[in-house]
Amino acid sequence: MRFLRLVAVFLRVGVMGEAAYPANFLAHIVDSALELGTALAGLALIFAHTATLGGWRSEELVALVGVYFLVGGVIGLVIQPGMEQLTESVRDGTLDFTLTKPEDAQLLVSVWRVEIWKLIDVGLGLVVLGIALARLGQRVGVAQAASFAAAILAGGVIVYSFWLILATTAFWLVRVENILVIFQSVYEAGRWPVSIYPGWLRFALTFLVPVAFAITVPAQALAGRLTRPVLFGAAAFAVALFGAARLFWKIGVRHYSGASS
Amino acid sequence: MDTAPTIRLRDLRKTYRVTEREPGLRAALASLVHRRKSEVRAVDGITFDLAPGEIVGFLGPNGAGKTTTLKMLSGLLHPTSGELSVLGYVPWKRDRAFLRRITLVMGQRNQLIWDIPAADSFELNRAIYRIPPADYRRTLDELVALLELEPLLRKPVRNLSLGERMKCEIAAALLHSPAVVFLDEPTIGLDVTMQRRIRTFIAEYRRRHGATVLLTSHYMADVEALCKRVIVIHHGQLLFDGELAALVQKFTADKTIVVQLKDCAADMGAYGEVLSCQDGRTTLRVPKADTARVTGRILAELPVVDLTVEDPPIEEVIERVFAQGAA
Amino acid sequence: MKALAELYLQEIKTGVASMLQYRATLVIWLIGNVLEPLIYLVVWTTVARSTGGSVGGYGVLDFAAYYIVLMLVNQATFTWVMYEFDYRIREGTFSADLLHPVHPIHADIATNLSSKVVNLPFVVAAAAGLAAVFHPAFRFTPLAVAAFVPALVLAFLVRFLVDWTVALAAFWTTRVTAINQIHYMAVLFFSGQIAPLTVLPRPLQVVANVLPFRWTVGFPVELLLGRLTRAQILTGFAAQAAWLLAGALLVRVAWRVSVRRYSAVGA
Repeated sequence: MRFLRLVAVFLRVGVMGEAAYPANFLAHIVDSALELGTALAGLALIFAHTATLGGWRSEELVALVGVYFLVGGVIGLVIQPGMEQLTESVRDGTLDFTLTKPEDAQLLVSVWRVEIWKLIDVGLGLVVLGIALARLGQRVGVAQAASFAAAILAGGVIVYSFWLILATTAFWLVRVENILVIFQSVYEAGRWPVSIYPGWLRFALTFLVPVAFAITVPAQALAGRLTRPVLFGAAAFAVALFGAARLFWKIGVRHYSGASS
Repeated sequence: MDTAPTIRLRDLRKTYRVTEREPGLRAALASLVHRRKSEVRAVDGITFDLAPGEIVGFLGPNGAGKTTTLKMLSGLLHPTSGELSVLGYVPWKRDRAFLRRITLVMGQRNQLIWDIPAADSFELNRAIYRIPPADYRRTLDELVALLELEPLLRKPVRNLSLGERMKCEIAAALLHSPAVVFLDEPTIGLDVTMQRRIRTFIAEYRRRHGATVLLTSHYMADVEALCKRVIVIHHGQLLFDGELAALVQKFTADKTIVVQLKDCAADMGAYGEVLSCQDGRTTLRVPKADTARVTGRILAELPVVDLTVEDPPIEEVIERVFAQGAA
Repeated sequence: MKALAELYLQEIKTGVASMLQYRATLVIWLIGNVLEPLIYLVVWTTVARSTGGSVGGYGVLDFAAYYIVLMLVNQATFTWVMYEFDYRIREGTFSADLLHPVHPIHADIATNLSSKVVNLPFVVAAAAGLAAVFHPAFRFTPLAVAAFVPALVLAFLVRFLVDWTVALAAFWTTRVTAINQIHYMAVLFFSGQIAPLTVLPRPLQVVANVLPFRWTVGFPVELLLGRLTRAQILTGFAAQAAWLLAGALLVRVAWRVSVRRYSAVGA
């Protein structure tokens, strides 16, 4: 509950920060719409030539695009800004202020920046998902909705942990802001189901940069393609990665504080 | 009555191990065989106590170990060895209860969020420190009144001047009514008027709340105005711990005599070391013991318009302390 | 052993640190420039396989060949001036450029080329790697290779001029991201990146022939792969030459107009 209260406070701050630049909002809507248009046009082009891509039907791929925008929106909303701010704070020393606050520092650095207009991407993603689900018809039942929710949650935790691990390297490497941007370049590969990629790329997109867990797996859940083992695997990986990230974070803070290691 | 010290340091040390290596590939390979490590003793055995409600000036040149000590006191750094306790806590354990009772203000860095009004950053701190609404209201009103923050609260922080920003930073840091306040160069870069206002505020705040304050500053005016007791640190070691007046006494063997004559024609060298002369205003340096005698002679032998006897400026004293410590 | 490991760690750290410091953004571009063609390569080969043959005249191995060459051509011709300009205007460094007696585009071209030289080995390595994995069907002819070089040079120049003109929008609005996005879409579809142009529906192909983008990437790629007839190659060169002139003119006019606005609005 503490966590939610802090999130609310920082969300409010994030809104107010952006409210200072109102003209941005329309520009962001245009940007996101254009990006969505590009993605859907690409799909249209593909499906002018074939009925399925790697076994995925067009409605399922539209759902995938929806998840792509939804998850991308969440990442851009709170995860990415927070981690970017973290690397900056390590560099200019303002992290000291965070460390003298009577609150879990990892919690603070995870929610302290909110790019509010990324909600547009989240909204667009939900709309596209809705349309795709409508076209999938009765194929989506309660069980699938539940596994979708679980998959999205697991994916979110995995992506968050991944970003935190990357950002924590700032305690040693200092100038890492640009490593974070690599995620965005790789994320684009997630617009397509990871199963079409050759094995080595699939591995990289699953375990090196966890795009598969973020996008493909939840989309699989919606399409009814998600098997129990994969879902449990995702959940297990989420728990393990979160634990690893927290441990790494604590090590990083200890290093920053000059604790003998 | 025995009051336990609020801050207690015993032989506190912080040593950094730095690997030294020449640049280049050959040196890199050479370091395989022989690693050259050197130790930097940032803090080299410091001992002192601060009683509750005391305000102490922490003086030292850059790299002396002031900020390192402050960081250890606020729990940001682990000491290498020695005893350290603040309000009965071990700072680096970062106990939540401990963190709620201290605060750190750094003159060169901001904790306020840039794009939003200061008032909203205050709200943020309120949530983080879990300040009860009634206490928050009361403290905020008091700080707003003392620091004259009313016109500033609704402006985005980026639109404030440096001095206005500093006032808001200080307010943000005091919202949770900490018992111990660490101020690291709070007046740096501010104009004289603003420096004075902040000094007045700190004095008043302490008077009202009895907070223990540790202040580092390069501006002697800060220390002179606020601190009866100063601690001088250099090369990580304590050079002096006592009253400012005693510091001046101990480290100066001279006094300064300023004599106003009609012009600079007279040769004042006979009376003492002439530091400067402009429009008849001569500044002399004489050994302390000779002050009375020389003054008498000048008054008797020269057509004096005005004469004052002063201590050398404190900056000079401090410099001398550092120079001695470096030796 | 520990010292050795630490040595590697240090060297990697320094190497990564300096790479990140000086060529950070270019590494990002590099990854993007390799990944994007790779993604479409996989997508289209998957489509081709599922339709049991070819799409728009490209078989599975043809797609591999197309995208590997595309990757190299794109890397050779791409620019980042739009982001540069946005930064320059916000930081106010354009004022210095305006004082120079030389047109700023020359410095930009020089920087662009020098960065590419640095990244060249990596891209070539990536192309070689992909070739090993996907077994592209290459059919190089001496004519094609010979014609490829001038086509590439012209493609680079045309792309630079067009991008530079579009980048000038930064003088007119602070919301350049929308314009950049539209530009990116146009490049994606009409330069042959999202799919070889013969795969696009007919109307889009017509548009592609009219716009400059085909001549910046798609044309050199198709040329090298031997997919163009002599006549088509000549037409292509003509189009490139035409767009080179048009681009130069656009740059001149747009620059003058934008500078006037910049000085009017205030540096």
